[in-house]
Amino acid sequence: MAEVVKPRKSAGSLAWLSVLSLLGFLAAWELICRSGAVDPIFLPPPSQVWARASTMFGQGTLLGHVLASTRRVMVGFLAAAAVAIPLGIWLGTSRIARAIFDPVISFLRPLPSMSWIPLSLLWFGINETQKYSIVFMGSFVPALLYVMEATRSIDPLLIRAARNLGAQRWQVMREVLLPGCLPQIISGMKIILGLSWTCVISAELVAAKEGLGFMIMNGKEFFQTDTVVLGMVLISFTVLATDLVVRALERWLLAWQR
Amino acid sequence: MTTSMISIRGVSKSFGDNHVLSNLDLEVKKGEFLVLLGASGCGKSTLLNLMAGFEKPTQGSVSVNGKRIDDVTSACGMVFQQYALFPWQTVQQNVEFGLKMKKMPKGERAEIARRFIEMVGLKGSEDKYPQALSGGMKQRVSIARVLANDPDVMLFDEPFAALDAMTRQVLQDQLLSIYEQSGKTIVFITHSIDEALMLSTRMVIMGSRPGRVVQDLRNELPHPRTAEIQLSEDFISLKRSIWETVQEEVGRTLAVTRG
Repeated sequence: MAEVVKPRKSAGSLAWLSVLSLLGFLAAWELICRSGAVDPIFLPPPSQVWARASTMFGQGTLLGHVLASTRRVMVGFLAAAAVAIPLGIWLGTSRIARAIFDPVISFLRPLPSMSWIPLSLLWFGINETQKYSIVFMGSFVPALLYVMEATRSIDPLLIRAARNLGAQRWQVMREVLLPGCLPQIISGMKIILGLSWTCVISAELVAAKEGLGFMIMNGKEFFQTDTVVLGMVLISFTVLATDLVVRALERWLLAWQR
Repeated sequence: MTTSMISIRGVSKSFGDNHVLSNLDLEVKKGEFLVLLGASGCGKSTLLNLMAGFEKPTQGSVSVNGKRIDDVTSACGMVFQQYALFPWQTVQQNVEFGLKMKKMPKGERAEIARRFIEMVGLKGSEDKYPQALSGGMKQRVSIARVLANDPDVMLFDEPFAALDAMTRQVLQDQLLSIYEQSGKTIVFITHSIDEALMLSTRMVIMGSRPGRVVQDLRNELPHPRTAEIQLSEDFISLKRSIWETVQEEVGRTLAVTRG
């Protein structure tokens, strides 16, 4: 029986396991490409992607693409959140407001952000506003639905207590509903942020002069598959990095939970 | 002359076909410690919710300090059985809440909150979050939060029911001394006859189906009400009298339910 109870692996040794798995994956990828089994036009080896990264970094274009996409995501996402959070709290608590907005939300909900691209190009042209608007349209409705759902998680007794202590309706929203739903709102916003990245990449794939989506599309035009793969790797890294920032923000905002 | 703080006149309350209160009259004088006693389902919580404005009477009127209650009012501060503290706020912030809603300047409200936190014996815990507190401490924060808001009336909805016997005893003593210091009018719900006798200056026993007043008696047991008082002749005879009324009511209700 004794061997059934295995000692738990420490966090450190588990992290090493992850590093080894990553190195193994990269080595296998490199070897398959070098063996000539795959044409580098279809899949370049990691070493070639790395070489492309240092060239582009040297030219100063790499950081520009990353920053352009990040800025678009941030502006679009923050604008969507800034409207969706107060509106969602209001809709979550007022049946009259829900009755008014429900038809619009039901119409907007099934529309993918991609379907807004033609209209947005007509309205704004190929510029930054158009990118922001795509990110906004793609994140706003899901964000709104998350916030409305989050308002259900609040204990009605807390609202009653706040009213009893003299809070007016809008004070209940700001002082009780917002902080009370914040854990649910933040976990929703983390998912929406991922969605915003999908929106910006699709907008850049269609029409853009810079950004990671543009970089991928441009790489494809010139048969630079290493640029395409590099763009994909960078999207992944940037999303992971923003996630770390959001987690730090979450820990700070929700300090009371610990 | 003592004036009336709460006036309940001809109040009935129904939820659909469920007639919870029927044509109830009750006057509570300023400075009284009124305990509402009754078995569950007698409408005592509903009566308290009517005073706080959480519910509206189907018929009749409820006035507090001369003003008719037709919406939630901060004139009646409620202490809930489940504490209802804001978990994202510290003890200090919880106690300041009502004053912040009134837009009182920061320094001033912090000062008032500190005074009441000290009054309930929680000095030193100002920066703790509710989840770090025991049930008894949470309930004391809740009492301080209502006191800081300076209401005309304090309403207690079975506030100590979820606490262990020892903590309950300590909080009862503390509540009595707060009552004596603040001179607030208090309406307190319980189904413990001992608790009613220890705390009240007046007891109203309610019957159910529909809820109404069946006995209204003064409690003139001497202060301070120590544990010994529970062995006194007066205490025991009052308790017996209440017990008989309650038993009769419960028996009647059971008969009605069976019939």
